[in-house]
Amino acid sequence: MDRPALLAALRGRIARIERGGALPATATVVRLCPPIDAALPAGGLERAALHEVAADAPGAAAAFCALVLARSLPDGDGTVFWIGPDPDPWPPGMAQFGLDPARLVLVRAQKPTDALWAAEEALRCPAVSGVLLAARRMDLTAGRRLMLAAGTGGALGLILRPGQTQGKEEALDPSAALTRWRIGTLPGSGAARHDLGDPRWRLALLRARGARPQAWTATWHAGSESLGVEEETTPLPEQRRVRASRMGAGQ
Amino acid sequence: MTGRRCCHPPRLHLPGEHRFPTPRLPTQTVPPTGRRLLALHLPRLVTEGLGPGPLLAWAPQGARRIVVAVDPLAEALGLRPGQALAEAQAIAPTVRAVLVPPDAGSGPRVNGATPAAGRRLAELALWALRFTPLTAPDTPDGLLLDITGAAHLAGGEAALLARIIADLRRLGHEARGAIAGSPVTAAALARVGGGILAPGTESAAIGPLPLAALRLPPETVASLGRLGLRTVREVLAQPRAALTRRFGAHLAHVLDAATGATSPPIRPIRPAPDFSATQDLLEPITTREAIDAVMDRLLPRLCRRLERAGMGLREIVLRAHRADGGVQEINLGTGAATRDPAHLARLFRDRLDRLEPGFGFDRMALLALRTEALEGVQSGFAGAGAERRDALTRLLDRLAQRLPVWRLAPRASHWPERAMQKVEPFATVPAPAAAIDGPTPPRPVRLLRRPEPLEALALLPDAPPSMIRLYGQRHRIRRAEGPERIAPEWWRDAPTRRTRDYYRLECEDGTRLWVCRAGAPGDAATTWLHHGWLA
Repeated sequence: MDRPALLAALRGRIARIERGGALPATATVVRLCPPIDAALPAGGLERAALHEVAADAPGAAAAFCALVLARSLPDGDGTVFWIGPDPDPWPPGMAQFGLDPARLVLVRAQKPTDALWAAEEALRCPAVSGVLLAARRMDLTAGRRLMLAAGTGGALGLILRPGQTQGKEEALDPSAALTRWRIGTLPGSGAARHDLGDPRWRLALLRARGARPQAWTATWHAGSESLGVEEETTPLPEQRRVRASRMGAGQ
Repeated sequence: MTGRRCCHPPRLHLPGEHRFPTPRLPTQTVPPTGRRLLALHLPRLVTEGLGPGPLLAWAPQGARRIVVAVDPLAEALGLRPGQALAEAQAIAPTVRAVLVPPDAGSGPRVNGATPAAGRRLAELALWALRFTPLTAPDTPDGLLLDITGAAHLAGGEAALLARIIADLRRLGHEARGAIAGSPVTAAALARVGGGILAPGTESAAIGPLPLAALRLPPETVASLGRLGLRTVREVLAQPRAALTRRFGAHLAHVLDAATGATSPPIRPIRPAPDFSATQDLLEPITTREAIDAVMDRLLPRLCRRLERAGMGLREIVLRAHRADGGVQEINLGTGAATRDPAHLARLFRDRLDRLEPGFGFDRMALLALRTEALEGVQSGFAGAGAERRDALTRLLDRLAQRLPVWRLAPRASHWPERAMQKVEPFATVPAPAAAIDGPTPPRPVRLLRRPEPLEALALLPDAPPSMIRLYGQRHRIRRAEGPERIAPEWWRDAPTRRTRDYYRLECEDGTRLWVCRAGAPGDAATTWLHHGWLA
C-alpha cells in the first residue's frame, strides 16, 4: 500500500477508535433532514460506511442517491463516482438535487468484478467523498470488502439496487451495509391536473444498526432545495423488524 | 572518340578529358557532422522466412512468372532472380518454388519488397532498438541504425557491427553491414561488402563503387551508363550544374549524401524517448515474478532520472525484447505528469498480463515518450488540497487503465441527447451556462440512452396522454405538465428528424416520467417515446 493510503487508513482507524460509541462529530455524517437524522443512531448517514438503496422507482431512487452524494461533498472540493454497467445519470436533472456536474465522474463496468474493483479503489481514495455502485446483487464478502475500503478512505458508499416487487420485500439477502433503504414514490403535491408539484417519496428505512425500521413520507421542496418529512411516521411491521435484527446479529 | 557527344544541353566532361580541375564542393571542407550511421543489408530477406531450401520465391509479373529471390542453395544450382520460373524449374527441377504474394502498391520486383519481408523488416527494426534508440527499416532489404554516441556501449564500432551481424545470424538472417557518416554511404557500402569508414573518408571510399550501389533509379543509372559514367567517381567529376539540370535534384542529393557532404536524416521506426531505463538479462525471463522484479528495478531508475531533470512523464512504454527477435510493447498514459514508481507499478500491474514471453525476454526497456516539467514537491508542505488532487489523479489513472471513465460536460444544445458530452476524466467541467429564456423546467435524473417507444392514449391529438403502456404495464396518468417543444437542430440533423413535444407525467403510483410525442399531433406517423425518469 502506498503511503498516502496508509496514512488515510491510520487516520480512519484512529477516528473510529476515538468515536467509540459516542455521538460522532458532524463531519462524519451526511445529513438528510432533522426527523430522519434524529432516528438514525449516528445523527445522519455515516460516512466511511456503506449504505444500500433499493429502488422501487428508478427516478426517485436516483434522485435520493444524488441528494446523498451531493451532501457528501465538502465545500468546493471532493469528487463523487457513479459506477455501473450502464451509468445513465443526467447532470441537468442531478443538478436540481444539488449535485454539481463538475464533481461527478462516471465509470462503466460491465462485469460485476470490475465494478466491485472500481468501487473499492474509489472508496479507498481520500479525495473521493461518495461512491455509488449500481449493482443487481452483492454477496456478503464483497459488501464487507467495500465496507472496509470505505473505512479506509472515509468516503460514503451507496449500493443502488433495483427494487424487488412489493410482495417479496422479506426476501432481502444479508448485506454488510450499515443502513438499508427502500425508495418508492407517492403522488406528488400538485394541486391541479396540469401541475405536478413537488415530488413525494416513501423513504423506508428497512434496517439500521441501532435504529428502528420505519418509513417516512418525504417531500422534496424544489424551491428551497430541502427535504421535508411529514410528521407521522409508519413503524414497519414487527416480523420484518425481527428479521432485520436477526440479520444484524448474524454479522 | 570526339570531345563532344550529342548529349547537349549538359556538357559533360568525360573521364580522361580533363580541361580544368574538378570543382570541389564547398561543403566538403566543412568538418564532418559527427553522425555515425550503421547500415545493414539483408540480401536473403525474402527467402529466409520460407523454410528449408533449396527454394526460390516467384511472383506473377503480368503474364510471366518471374523468380524474385533464391536462397543460397538454389543459387549454387545456378538459379538467379529475374529468371522465368519455367526456366528455373528446368535448370533445377527439385527446387521448391514458393509463390510470394506481390506487394499491393508497386507490384513485384526482382529482389523487391514482399509484404512478409516488409513486416519482418519492421520487426527487425524494432529488434535493433536494443542497440540504439534510432532505427529505421530501409526498404526493401536493409536497416539503418543511427549509432551516434552508442557504439562505445558495445566496445567500439567494429565490435558493435560484429555483434549485430552475429545476432542476426542467430535469428536466421544473413546480413552485411557498414558504418559511415551518412546513411547513403553506409547503405551503399553494405551492399558491396561492408566495412567501417573513418569520419571524412566517405568520398574516397565511395569513389570506385558502381553507380548501382547508390540505389539510384534504374533509368538514371542506365542513362549515365550510356554516357560512359559507370562509377561514382566518374559522376562526381562532372560539373554539378549540368548533372542536376539533366537528371534532377535527386541525383545531386544522393551524391552529396554519398560523399558525406550532407547526412540526410533517417525516418526512425519509433521516436527517441526523452528518458529511458533498460535492463539486459543474461538469462531470458519467462515468469511473471521475474518480470515484476525487473520492473521493480527499472521504474525507480527511470523515475530517478526524471527527478534529476525535474520532469514527470505523461506517456510511457514498456518494450520487452524476446530472445527470438520479437518485440512487445505496452503503452500507458497518465492524466498528470508523474514520476512516482509505486503509482506507475500499479498502473502496469494489470497490463503486464498481456505480455507473452514465449522463449523469454532478454531485454526490457522503459521509455518515457512524453514528459512535462514537474516541480519537486515536498510532501506535507503542499497542503491537503494538493495531496487530495494527487490522490484523485492516481485513482483516475488506475481506473482508466481498465474501464471507460468519463465526466459529462454541458454543451450548447437544446436537444436532450446532445446537451451533455463525454469528456475525459481529467478535464475540468465548466458550470452550465445560465438559461437565457427563464428557468429550465425540471429535467429527468436519468436519461435513457435511446428513447423507448411507448403506447399512449390521449383524449385529443394534442393533449397529454391519459393512459400509457410502458414495458408491458398499463399506467393511468394522474397529472401532466407540458408540452415543452424541442425542435431538432436543422444545421446538424437530418431533415427527417421530427420535432418533439415533451411532457412530464405522473402515474397513479407517483412514478414520474419524461415522455415525448415525436411528430405533429394527429399525424399518423406520430409516435410516443419514453426518454427519462423524473424524480
